[in-house]
Amino acid sequence: MKSLSLYQERDSIIHEIEPINKLLYILTTILIMIIVPSIKCAVLCMIISLMLLLKANVIKKVLPIINFSFIILISIIIIQGLFNINNKTVLFNIGKIKFYKEGMMYSALIVIRVINILCAFALLVLTTKPSDLIEDLVRRGLSPKIGYVLSSVLQIIPQMTSTMGTIMDAQRSRGLETEGKLINRIKAFFPLIGPVVMNSLIATRERAMALEIRAFSSKNKKTFLNETKSTKLDSSLKYIFIAAVILSIIWRAAIWTK
Amino acid sequence: MSKKSMWSVKFSTASLVLIPAAVGINYIGKLFAGVLKLPLWLDSIGTMLASMLAGPVIGALSGAINNIIYGLTMDPISFVYAVTSIAIGITIGILAYKGLIKNILSAVLCGIIAAFVAAVVSTPINIAFWGGQTGNIWGDGLFAILVAKKFPLWIASFLDELVVDIPDKAATLIVSYIIFKGLPKSLTNLYDNKNEIEQL
Repeated sequence: MKSLSLYQERDSIIHEIEPINKLLYILTTILIMIIVPSIKCAVLCMIISLMLLLKANVIKKVLPIINFSFIILISIIIIQGLFNINNKTVLFNIGKIKFYKEGMMYSALIVIRVINILCAFALLVLTTKPSDLIEDLVRRGLSPKIGYVLSSVLQIIPQMTSTMGTIMDAQRSRGLETEGKLINRIKAFFPLIGPVVMNSLIATRERAMALEIRAFSSKNKKTFLNETKSTKLDSSLKYIFIAAVILSIIWRAAIWTK
Repeated sequence: MSKKSMWSVKFSTASLVLIPAAVGINYIGKLFAGVLKLPLWLDSIGTMLASMLAGPVIGALSGAINNIIYGLTMDPISFVYAVTSIAIGITIGILAYKGLIKNILSAVLCGIIAAFVAAVVSTPINIAFWGGQTGNIWGDGLFAILVAKKFPLWIASFLDELVVDIPDKAATLIVSYIIFKGLPKSLTNLYDNKNEIEQL
């Protein structure tokens, strides 16, 4: 069964860092980009993220993540390059179509900003097991019930995907058309999704009973299966993040007072 | 017996385990739509079903958790759109509680309302993130035309989102409504917090 995660098993210092610190890293990156909205700063942040990804030995896996947004990024460059309201100076033209400098600059900022955020997120999702992240959050005060819900989603989706294959084969062998005209394909949607939904809702009922039997809603304090291994690096990272945000605020204030 | 407010949630075990199922249904809906090459996403069937079954709060939670899990396992951008999913969950939850979703036609109308809400919530995100675009060919085509005609950015962006959302949300709500109607009473009762029923 295909497991549902982007996590890459590697042996690196980045993998050892507490998940919460990686979350804080994303927050810091976004905050800095809001406070200092210049291309230079965004490029700097991106280089830092890329270096960390390189250190974690997962840099190759970043491409598929960026790929998700590739088409929209291309269309932004085209549309802004052609039609941005501030367009004045022609940068280059392909045939009769003129691309303008202002729009291209604007789209460059958007593209770099998006790639930047994606890289920061990639650092979290590629180097952290989702279950570790959830456990860390529960340890820091997230309700254990929500924690259970999150981690059970990770188990349910692969289960449902394999049920989906079974149902698809079953319905096809009964003569259901899943290809051809649009109307046929629309009609095929209900016999396919119906059984999956019924199955999973009936399963929730059983799961609820199984959980109740195991004292799921007990008010007692929950304990954890895994021990924490908080290092010195982890505690100092938080100060580094705070310092980075303060520095960027000072930088912004300095620009204003000039 | 007094009718309980729709905002009262018992975080009963039954309604909590509904959330992962809802997220799973969202995921499967999207997969089937992809396999059948339907021109829609149909990726919020589970959220809408959860809203109809257990009210706006569980619906909103399903929506939020759906996007968090998507963000963690596939496309990090979907984290930001958690707000949109929450809004859809709340809207459908309220509409269903008021008893407004009672036949296919009303499902279409409620779907359009949900699409408006989704577009209102998504537009600021789209502008901040993508300069106003959505990544959908039809919507972005319209966006390009409007921007070229010097329409204000936010109107262009709002319409970009809306043309895509209206057919999608209406279709999703029709699907959810048909499935909801087909559910056995013994199942729907489990989440019903309108009146007192025996609890698990």
